[in-house]
Amino acid sequence: MVFSSLTFLFGYLPLTLALYFITPLRRRNFVLLLASLFFYGWGEPVYVGVMLLSIFIDYTHGLLVERFRGRDRLARWFVGQSVVFNLLLLGFFKYWDFLAVNLSLLPGVSIPELGLPLPLGISFFTFQTMSYTIDVYRQDAPVQRNAIAFGAYVTLFPQLIAGPIVKYKTVAKELVKRTVTSEDFAQGVCRFTVGLGKKVLLANAAGELWESCLGTQAAGTLTTAGGWTGLLAFGFQIYFDFSGYSDMAIGLGRMLGFRFDENFDHPYLSASVGEFWRRWHMSLTSWFREYLYIPLGGNRGGTARTLRNLLIVWFCTGFWHGASWNFILWGLYFALWIILERFALRDLLTRTPVWIRRGYTLAVVFVGWGIFAMEELGACGRYLAVCFGGGPLWSALDTYRLRSYAATLLLLALGSTTLAADLWRRIPERGRRMLAPVLMGAVLALSTAYLVDGSYNPFLYFRF
Amino acid sequence: MTTRYSCFLAALFGVFLGGLLVWHILLPDRARSEVENRTLAQFPDFSWESLRDGSFTKGVEDYFADQFPLRDDWTGLKARTEQLLGKREFKGVYLCGETLIAKVEPPRDGLEEKNLSRVARLAERAEVPVYLGLIPSAAEIWQDRLPKGAESWDQAAFIARVAEVKGVEPVDFLAALRDRAGEAVFYRTDHHWTTLGAYYGYAALMEALGRGEEVLGPDAFKPRVSPHAGEFQGTLYSQSGVHWLAPDAIEFWAEAEGLSVTSWRGGTPEEAELYDFSHLLGKDKYSAFLGGNQPLCVIKNPEGTGKLLLIRDSYSDALAPFLALHFEEVHLLDLRYYRYSAAGYAGENGMDQIAVVYSVPNFITDRNLALLAR
Repeated sequence: MVFSSLTFLFGYLPLTLALYFITPLRRRNFVLLLASLFFYGWGEPVYVGVMLLSIFIDYTHGLLVERFRGRDRLARWFVGQSVVFNLLLLGFFKYWDFLAVNLSLLPGVSIPELGLPLPLGISFFTFQTMSYTIDVYRQDAPVQRNAIAFGAYVTLFPQLIAGPIVKYKTVAKELVKRTVTSEDFAQGVCRFTVGLGKKVLLANAAGELWESCLGTQAAGTLTTAGGWTGLLAFGFQIYFDFSGYSDMAIGLGRMLGFRFDENFDHPYLSASVGEFWRRWHMSLTSWFREYLYIPLGGNRGGTARTLRNLLIVWFCTGFWHGASWNFILWGLYFALWIILERFALRDLLTRTPVWIRRGYTLAVVFVGWGIFAMEELGACGRYLAVCFGGGPLWSALDTYRLRSYAATLLLLALGSTTLAADLWRRIPERGRRMLAPVLMGAVLALSTAYLVDGSYNPFLYFRF
Repeated sequence: MTTRYSCFLAALFGVFLGGLLVWHILLPDRARSEVENRTLAQFPDFSWESLRDGSFTKGVEDYFADQFPLRDDWTGLKARTEQLLGKREFKGVYLCGETLIAKVEPPRDGLEEKNLSRVARLAERAEVPVYLGLIPSAAEIWQDRLPKGAESWDQAAFIARVAEVKGVEPVDFLAALRDRAGEAVFYRTDHHWTTLGAYYGYAALMEALGRGEEVLGPDAFKPRVSPHAGEFQGTLYSQSGVHWLAPDAIEFWAEAEGLSVTSWRGGTPEEAELYDFSHLLGKDKYSAFLGGNQPLCVIKNPEGTGKLLLIRDSYSDALAPFLALHFEEVHLLDLRYYRYSAAGYAGENGMDQIAVVYSVPNFITDRNLALLAR
C-alpha cells in the first residue's frame, strides 16, 4: 500500500488510527505491529514471511550481542553475523539479477536470473535493523527484549516503504513509552497533509512533464530546450515525491507518538554539492557516514585513504538506489564532484558569490538526475548529448509544453525554497489559525480529486 | 496551538477521511457509470490464490476507486484545477475554446502498415471491387484549432498512403471534410462526426463508388428534432473531465420510412430500427444511430439498387442511413464481433461492392482487421 492511494487514505488510515487510539497504551505496540504487517502484506503477502524472518534474526542477534558483551570477540562475531544476514537478504532480492547478468558476461560463468519482485522497502528495513545491532554493540542504544516492540520498530508502517531510515536509537525511548497529545496529533495531521499535497499535486504533475519529454526523446524529436525541461521536471518530481513521502511519514509518526528526524532541508538551495548531500535524504547520508565512512577511517588516514573511503561510500550510495549501472555511475559522479570540491575547488568556491555557487550546484545535481533517471546508459548518453547542444535548440512543442506547465513549474520552483514557510511565519497568529483549516481542506479535497481521477480508465464505446 | 484548536484540526482531518469512508460503505455500489460509459469494478471475490498473486488487493483498490462517492464531481474538480493552471490537454483530449479534440497518438508495432496490407489481401480474395475510406478525426480537420505546438499524429500523410495500396480504390474523406472544415462536421464533446460530417462523407463515398450523380443535396433532408437529442455529452466529455461545455445536438436527416433494418446482436436476426431513440434518454446518445455497435446489421430498401458491404466502425452508423436511400441492401459488418471471413460473407450474400470505412484512430489501433485477410 502507498500513502497516496485512496485505499490508504479512506480505508486503512482512519481504521488504523481508530483502532490504535481505542487500544490501551501498553497494547499499542501490538496493534502497530499487526497493522504494519497488514500494510506490508497488502501488496506482496508472500513477503510477510521475509519480514518476520528479518525481525526474528535481528531480535535474537540484539540479545546475543548484549549477552556476550563481556566477551568482545563473540559480541563482534554476532554483530558481523547480523550485518551479513541483512546484506545477504538485500543482496539476494535486490542485486541477484544484476550480478547474474553481469557475471555471466565472464567466459565460463553462467548464473540464472531469478526475476523475483523486490520486497517493498527492503532497502530501508535492512538498513534500519543493521543499525540496531550495531547500536546495541556500541552501547548507543539499549537492547530491546520485547519482541513485539522490536517488531513494531522494524515494521513501523509510516516509514516502512520509503524511509526516512529511522535509526533504532532515535525511537528507542518512544518504543517503550510514548504519549500523543492533541497538539502532537494536530501537528502530525498538518505535516501529513503538506506531504500529501507535495506528492499528489506537485510531484505527479512534474512526473507527467518528465514522461512527456521522455516520449519526445523516444520519438527522436528531442530538442535542447526539451531536454533541460525534462531534467528540471524529473528533479522536481523526485524531490517532491520523496520529500512529500518523508513529510507524510514524519506526520504519521507524530500522530502515533514518534518523532522521526528530518529527511530533507530545502536541498535545492544548497551552495555546494557537499552541502546538497547534507540536505538531501539526510537519513541515508548520515547512515552511510555513521556506519560506513567513519568505520572505514573517514578522513583521518591521509589523502589516499580519504579518497578511497569517499569512493567506497559513494559507490555504495549509488548502488543502494538501484541494481543498475547508471546508479553506480550516478554515485561515482557525485564522488567526483565531492572530491573536486574538497581538494581543488574549495578556495575558488569560498570566493564565489553564493548565487553562482547555487547555480553551479543545481547544474551538477540536475545533470546527475539525467544519469539517475535513465537506466539504459545508451539512451541516457543520447539524452544528455541533446541537452548539451547535440540537437535542435527549440521546437513548437517546447513552447506548447512550457506554456502548459508554466504555472506548475513556478509552483515547483517556489515550493523548493523556504518562501512558503517564511510567508507562513509572517502571518499573524490569528490569521494562521483561520487559514490552516482552509488550506488543509483544500489540499485534502484537491488531492482526493487527483487520486480519484487518476484511476479513471474510460472504455468509451467499446465495452466487451 | 491550544488543545481546543488542535482537537479541531484533528477532527477536521478525521471527519474528512472517516466521513468519506462511511459514505463509501453506505453508498450502494453502482454496476456502471453513465457518465464514463463503462462498467465499474465490484468488490472482488476472496480466495487464497488471488491474495497470493496480488489480484485480490488490486481488485479492492479498483473497487475503492470506481465506487468512490461523488466520483464524477472529483474528476470535474480536477479538470477545473488543471484549466486554472493553464493546461490545455486533459487526459489525451485538447480543450480548444468550446471544442474538445482527441489527440491521436502515433501507432505502435507498425500496426497501421499491417492493416493497410490486410485490406490489400481482402481485395485479392474478394471477387468484387474493394474500396478503402479512412476518415480523418477532428485533430486533422480542425488542426488550426489545436493549441499552438500541440502534438497529434499526422493523419493526412497516412491517408495519402491508401492510394498506394494495390487493388484497392481510395475514398477521399479527407478532402471532403477539409473543404468543409469551417462547418460543424464533428461534435464538440464527442469523437464522432456529426450527421453533417457524415453527409459529406456519404457524398464522397458515393462519388468513389461511381454513383456520384445520385447524391442528394442537403436541401433534400429535413433534420428531425427529437427530444433530448440536444443534450448530448459525448465520449470526450467523459474522457477529459471537462464538464462545463455546452452539450452537442444530434440531428437525424435521412427518413427511416420504407427501410427495413435487421440486427444480429445475439447471433439471430431481429427486427430493428434505423434510429433507436430510446438511447437519447441515456448518456450514450450516439447509439441512437442503428442502436449502436453490433456484429452485423442489414438495411434493405426495395427501391434501391446494388448491394454494399460496409466493414464498419462506429462512424458508419451515422453514414449508413444516407447510403440506405440508394442501395437495395447495405450490410454493416463489425470485425470486432463478427469473426468470419469478410470476403466469404460478400461472396455468399451476393454483394456488389465492399467498402472498408474506418476512422483513422480506430484503423491504426484495431487488431481485428487481421480477419480481412482470411
